[in-house]
Amino acid sequence: MSTLLNSLTTELRRGTLTLAVLSQLRTPQYGYSLVQLLEQCGISIEQSTLYPLLRRLEKQELVTSSWDTTESRPRRYYVLTPYGIDIYQQLKKEWEKTSQELSLLLKGEDNG
Amino acid sequence: MRMIDLYIQEVTRRLPEKSREDIALELRSTIEDMLPDDYSEEDVKPVLEKMGNPAILASGYLDRPMHLIGPRYFDVYINLLKLILPIAAVISLISLIANTIISYSGEEAVLNVVLDVIGLGIWGIISTGIQVFFWVTVVFAIIERTDHKNSQTPLTACFKEWTPDDLNNISYIPKEKAISKVEVFLGLLWTAIWASGYFNAASLLGVYEKGSNGLEFVTPTFNQEVLLSYWLLVVVVIGLEIAVDMYKLTTGQWTRKIAVLNTVMHGVSSIVFIVIISNNQLFNPAFVTYMTDLFSITGDFDNWFSWGAISAFLLFAVVDVYQGFRKANIKK
Repeated sequence: MSTLLNSLTTELRRGTLTLAVLSQLRTPQYGYSLVQLLEQCGISIEQSTLYPLLRRLEKQELVTSSWDTTESRPRRYYVLTPYGIDIYQQLKKEWEKTSQELSLLLKGEDNG
Repeated sequence: MRMIDLYIQEVTRRLPEKSREDIALELRSTIEDMLPDDYSEEDVKPVLEKMGNPAILASGYLDRPMHLIGPRYFDVYINLLKLILPIAAVISLISLIANTIISYSGEEAVLNVVLDVIGLGIWGIISTGIQVFFWVTVVFAIIERTDHKNSQTPLTACFKEWTPDDLNNISYIPKEKAISKVEVFLGLLWTAIWASGYFNAASLLGVYEKGSNGLEFVTPTFNQEVLLSYWLLVVVVIGLEIAVDMYKLTTGQWTRKIAVLNTVMHGVSSIVFIVIISNNQLFNPAFVTYMTDLFSITGDFDNWFSWGAISAFLLFAVVDVYQGFRKANIKK
């Protein structure tokens, strides 16, 4: 039973990952700093999902990346493009709408 | 250090050449970010465990699917296999049977030949099936990999997305009117058997007697020259039978048109049959004498035999024609 619950939870969260990642990329972040930021907010993300996801977002022109070699080890920083900011805002609205609708539904169940 | 190198190699070897270096560099910096400044091999293990299976990580970087045939093509793929596999199996079986009958020299016992055909037939069907399965799968796997549209919507048999208009192309077939594929294939098989039999009657049809090497062919039933002089008519009948079978296969149900065609086919084949069998030169005199002796029939063996055969043939034809019209007229 718990494996079913696990897979359902993963499925439920998968769609929100892109939004979570986009929300943290308004300021430039490198891979590990992004993981830490997300973990601080309680969102754990598989590393094997995150790095490919960042590449995909770059391919979709939502983020740009650049190497920073000024520090002790080179790091690849990702940041939202103007197009990315636009998409992020719209996605955020969608999410807020969805979560409102859903909480209404779930509340209705509690009362009934 | 070594484990990190190996891990990165395991990921990048699955990636296209041009992106390898960049991704390797990023992975290395990420992994080192997760480690303390002064780390040992023991520290590396849990970090790599967090990074996960290199194959999964690599497949995340690739847009290539991790399946052979995905949801977009799966339904078309299965339907096509279901359509092609039985046709391929029947064609291989029919060609095997026809080939065996045509190349039959009359030296081997019929039973052995039949057993051989069954064995070879099973083997032929299996190997044809595997071939068809392989090639259809290869073609679909290639299509899956060359189609770069992101849509996952399954496609219909016309390789388009489904619309309600597609329902107009499907005919509703009630069970009582349906013509099963098995029925059609058995029909084709029967045509193949009798046609090959006709052209090889000299060495196939006749009297067999138990001899020193099992069954021995004693004397043919027919006068081969007379029999074969009707070849043009026979070819017409073969063509008609195949045409009707094919038409049945594509329509899938009894309609008035098919019932009429079926009647025409039976009419023509009955006439041809009667014409051939009522030729009094048809039977091999040796065969007639043999049979007359065997059953000690008083009277005319050819006549007796001919009338029996004609009645049986006509009876079968009439029943089939009647059934055709009955099924075509079922209203549903």
